[in-house]
Amino acid sequence: MTSVSVVVPVKNGGELLSEVLQAIVREQPDQLIVIDSGSSDGSAELAETIGAQVIRIEAAEFGHGRTRNAAAEAATGELVFFLTQDATPVAGWLAAYLAAFATDERVGAAFGPHLPRPGSSPTIARELDQFFGGFSRSGEVTVQAAADEAGWHPGFLSNVNAAYRRAVLLDVGFRDVKYAEDQAFAGDLFAAGWLKAFVPGAAVLHSHSYSQLGFIQRYFDEYRGLRQTVGHVEALAPLSAAKKIGRLVAADERWLAQSGGSAAERIRLLPSSTAHHAGRHIGAVLGSRADRLPASLQRSLSLEARDGVVRNDRESAVVRGKPIAAQRERELFYEMLDLDGESGTPLLDPTPGMSERERLHIAVVIPSFRTGSGGHDTIFRIFQKIEQLGHSCSIWLADPMQRMKGEWPAVIRRRIRDEFVEIDAPVYKGFDDWFGADVVLATSWQTVAPVLQLPDCRARAYFVQDHEPGFSPTSAESIWAEDSYRKGLFAICASPWLAQLMRERYSASASVFQLGVDSGVYYPRQVERQPKTIAFYGRAATPRRAVPLGMLALAELHRRHRDLRIVIYGDRHPLESTFPYEYLGVASQEQLATLYSEATVGLCLSVTNYSRAPQEMMACGLPCVDLAGFSAESVFGKDGPVALSEFSPKAIAGHIEQLLQDQELWNERSQAGIEFAARHSWGAAAVEVEAGLRAALREQETAGRQA
Amino acid sequence: MEAETDPLATDQLLAENQQLRASIAELEEQLSAQSARTNEIVAQTQERIYWLDRWHIDLDKLVRVPGVSQGRALLRAIRAPFRLLKKAARKLP
Repeated sequence: MTSVSVVVPVKNGGELLSEVLQAIVREQPDQLIVIDSGSSDGSAELAETIGAQVIRIEAAEFGHGRTRNAAAEAATGELVFFLTQDATPVAGWLAAYLAAFATDERVGAAFGPHLPRPGSSPTIARELDQFFGGFSRSGEVTVQAAADEAGWHPGFLSNVNAAYRRAVLLDVGFRDVKYAEDQAFAGDLFAAGWLKAFVPGAAVLHSHSYSQLGFIQRYFDEYRGLRQTVGHVEALAPLSAAKKIGRLVAADERWLAQSGGSAAERIRLLPSSTAHHAGRHIGAVLGSRADRLPASLQRSLSLEARDGVVRNDRESAVVRGKPIAAQRERELFYEMLDLDGESGTPLLDPTPGMSERERLHIAVVIPSFRTGSGGHDTIFRIFQKIEQLGHSCSIWLADPMQRMKGEWPAVIRRRIRDEFVEIDAPVYKGFDDWFGADVVLATSWQTVAPVLQLPDCRARAYFVQDHEPGFSPTSAESIWAEDSYRKGLFAICASPWLAQLMRERYSASASVFQLGVDSGVYYPRQVERQPKTIAFYGRAATPRRAVPLGMLALAELHRRHRDLRIVIYGDRHPLESTFPYEYLGVASQEQLATLYSEATVGLCLSVTNYSRAPQEMMACGLPCVDLAGFSAESVFGKDGPVALSEFSPKAIAGHIEQLLQDQELWNERSQAGIEFAARHSWGAAAVEVEAGLRAALREQETAGRQA
Repeated sequence: MEAETDPLATDQLLAENQQLRASIAELEEQLSAQSARTNEIVAQTQERIYWLDRWHIDLDKLVRVPGVSQGRALLRAIRAPFRLLKKAARKLP
C-alpha cells in the first residue's frame, strides 16, 4: 500500500483549522505534518492535540516554496499531499488521489477541485464550478503533459489541494518565490518529463469570503506572484476589460438562473458581481505591475501586507534573472528539429515512363511573401507558364513563423493573382490537405524540411534562384541553407553558374533555366533617350547587390563628369552620398521601363546569382554594366550584351564612361541587349524548368531500375 | 549447355508486360486527371469564398454557434410566405 504524508502549512489557522485537520485524520494518512510559522492563536497546540507532527518555524523563515520543500524532506510517505489551512477535504479525497497515481506511474503531481463552502456568493460558486469543471467534463481523471498543450489551463496547479510523488518533489523542487510556487512547479514538472493529473474525486471545500477590497488585495498578490514566476503582465485595455467584465457578470447571472436562483436574487447579484470582477481586474493590473509601485503602496495593496522587495534572506543568495514568459507558439526554425538526423519520407516507387507523361502534378512549396518579392514573382511567373504547358500546379505556403497568420488561403491566392501573375493553381496554407504530387518543389532553404517530409511524391526538386548561404554571415541559418543543398533534391538552377556550384560544391544533380523578361512591360518606350543619365539599382537592403561598390564607382564617375544625371532606385530609403542624385525609391514596373528607356547606361551589380534587372534594362535598349567573376559571364557570356567589370570602383566607372562616350559601342550593346532579351521570355524559362522537373523524375526512374 | 527457352512463353510474357505497362499508364493518367480536377475545383472554390476568407468567416464554425441554425430557420420561415406570394404573383396574367 502506498504511504501518504499530508502537509498543512499554518499560521493562525482560526476556526476552520480544527475542521480541516479532523477531516484529514478521517482520511487516514500515514503521516500528518503541520508547519506552524509563528501562530499566536494556539494553532500549533491544536494540531498536536489532533495528532499531527508539528514543525515550528519563525514567521520570517516562511516561504511558499522553500517551506514546502522542507516539508517534503521531513515527510516519510511515498506521496506527499499539500493542503492549505482553510481547505477541508471531502470524504474519499485521499483514496481518489491514490487511485489516480496508481493508474499511471508517469504522473508526478495531481490536483483536485475546490468546492464552494455553504453560503459562498454565486460569483465564487460559479467561478469554482466552471473553472474546475473545465478540467474534466466527464468526471474522469484527466492528464496534462505540457503547459502549452491544447485544453483547459494545462499549466494550472494549486497547492491549496495538491498531491506529489515525494521523489519528484525532491528532484524538481518548488522555486523559492513569494507566490505561485505551484504554477512554476507545473512548468518545471513538465520540463522534467512528468505528467500532471486532475482528480475530480479529490475535492476540498475551499472558498474565500473577502470584502471587495479584500478581493482586490488577493488578486494583487496573485498577479504579483504570476509576474514573478511566469512574467505575466495583465493588459490594461479598459475597453476589452469592460467587455470581459460584462461577459463575466452575464455568466454569473446565467449560472444563478440555472441553479434555480429567483429573479430578485439575480438582480441583487448584478452590482456585487460587477464590483467583484472589476476589482479582480484592478488587482491583476496593479499586481502584475507591482515592481513599479512604491513599497508602502505595495504593502497597502497586499492582503499579506508584503512589499515584494527581496530582502537579505536565503533567497538573496540565489541569482535570478528577469522572468520572461513564453512568447511564441513554436521555436524559430522548429521544422529543422523535425528533420534533425532524418532523411525524410520515402518517395513513391517509380513507374515506367513517369518522366515523359504529358501532364504532371507539380506541388510548389513557397515561403511567406511580401508585396514586391522578386523571388516569388519569378516562381509565380514560371509556374503560370508551366500551367500553360498543360501541367497541373498547386501552391503550398509553408509559414512556420506565421508571418501570414491573418491571411486565409483564398486571400493569399487573390494576392498572388493581383500582385504577381494570374495563376490557376489553388493555394493551400500548411499541409493538412496534402494529397501528393508527381514532383514536389522546394523554393527556398526553409521549405526543404517540409518538402522532405511530404508523403506520396514521385520526385523532389529544388527551385534554386540564388546561393542562399551567402545571404547571411556565418550562422545557423547559413549552415542550414548549405545543408539544404545536400538533401538529395534535384536542383533546378537559375543560371549555369548556380548549377555548377550545386554540382561541384554540394554534389547535387542540377539543371539550368534562365530568368525571363516580361516583354509586355519591358520594351523600348517612345521617350527620348537622355544624355549622360545613369540608372543604378541601389537596393542597399540586399547586400548581394554590392551597393557600396556601386556608390564608390558613381562618386568616381561624378568626379570625372560633373554634368551626370544619376537616378538611384530599389530601396525604401534614400542613400547618403557625396554626389547629387535623383531618388526613385521602390519603383513600379512602368516607371522602371520608362527609366530604362530614357537612361544612357544602367548599373546593376551582383556578387551571387544575377539579378533580373540587367535583362529588363537590355529589353528597353539600355546597355548596362555588371560584375565579372560571379554569375554574369555564365549567362551573358564574357563579351556579350552586358559590359562586365572587375570588382573595382574605378574599373566600373571606366566601363560606364566608355558607354557614355563611344556611341558606336553603345549602339552595338543596345542592339545585342534587345536581341538577348527577346530570346529570354518567361515561356522559354518555363520550358527549361519543365525539363528540370522531368529530369528529376527520370533520375528516380533510373534509380528505381538500378535498384 | 544452355537451357532452351520456349519462344511462345517469352512472347506471352512480353505481351503481359506490355499490357501491364499500358494499364499503369492509364491509371497514372486517371490519377493525373483527378489531381488536376481537384486543383481546379479548389481554385474555383477559393475564388468564390474570397470574401469569407477575407473577413475570417468560417461557415462551418458559424453554423455550430448555438442559435445560428435556429435563426436561419426563422429567417427562412419569415421569407417563405413572401416567396409564395411572389411566385403566385408571377403566375397571375
